[in-house]
Amino acid sequence: MTERTNIRESITKSFHDALERTDSKLLVDNLSDDIVLLQSGLDSLGFAILVAILDEELGFDPFAMMDEPVYPVTFGEFVSIYEKISPTE
Amino acid sequence: MDLVVVTGAFKGLGFAICKHLLKNGYSVVGIGRTLTSEYQELQEQYQDYLFHEVFDFNNIEDIKALSKKITSKYGVIYGLVNNAALGHDGVLATMHESQIEELIRVNVQAPIVLTKYISRSMLIRQRGRIINISSVIATTGYNGLSVYGATKSALSGFTRSLARELGRANITVNTVAPGFMDTSMTSSLKGEKLDSIRRRSPLNRMATVDDVANSVGFLLTPAADNITGSTITIDAGSTA
Repeated sequence: MTERTNIRESITKSFHDALERTDSKLLVDNLSDDIVLLQSGLDSLGFAILVAILDEELGFDPFAMMDEPVYPVTFGEFVSIYEKISPTE
Repeated sequence: MDLVVVTGAFKGLGFAICKHLLKNGYSVVGIGRTLTSEYQELQEQYQDYLFHEVFDFNNIEDIKALSKKITSKYGVIYGLVNNAALGHDGVLATMHESQIEELIRVNVQAPIVLTKYISRSMLIRQRGRIINISSVIATTGYNGLSVYGATKSALSGFTRSLARELGRANITVNTVAPGFMDTSMTSSLKGEKLDSIRRRSPLNRMATVDDVANSVGFLLTPAADNITGSTITIDAGSTA
């Protein structure tokens, strides 16, 4: 399994974990790349929890490593930020 | 055993808070600029429960690494007490801009950034307490403390909005606002000024660091489960 597949899997698993922790439900059929994050069912606190879980699990927070703030719109963009900035890539 | 992080822990109010928390069964990671002999003595007394990290909150860019280090070295964090602060005084018109900047950096930016990273551990576990140490100066004002007062007001504002943000994650955020206490920060106040502060108190005395430490301790207990976004003023009634 490649590093990229690992990151995507971790994000998808943690996304469901964050939904559960905030008593939210996935409002789309599945987490495909074109899903707009704001319509996914996870709210802003949920995203904070997701980033915190991923920071513990993957050992890095790409948003804190960036020089400029970037706010991904779709799930695909979110995953791509983690893949691009992963220290192991 | 719940773990609490206390900044500005090696002396004064921070040290009193550490002592109080240890007596009440918490583990404590104290952060400060210069380790003191009194803190080291306390560490000998509570070898498995009191830890320290030497850090200068002027280094905002290293706060993230500090937070990671604390979490990986000491484990899950239950409470954060943002107590570290500078107390430069002086008339604004003649205060050097580097001092204005430093006050804002250490008293406002540093606790905000530290809270950002420390609260992550709380967010994941949906359990935590954040206590910001402000001052009565935030609301009353005091000649020569305009910048310090601004930083303390900022911290109170931070408390109220963050309490709204983190409430749903079962994390409470509160402010404790001490009046004048006898610490190294107020050591420049002498004689008549000190007497006038005492006279303003209906109890005719000043609050002590132990009074404030008790309130911080209370906010960490289950008895304070439903207190968030509040300010507890400990000033022997001076601002009543």
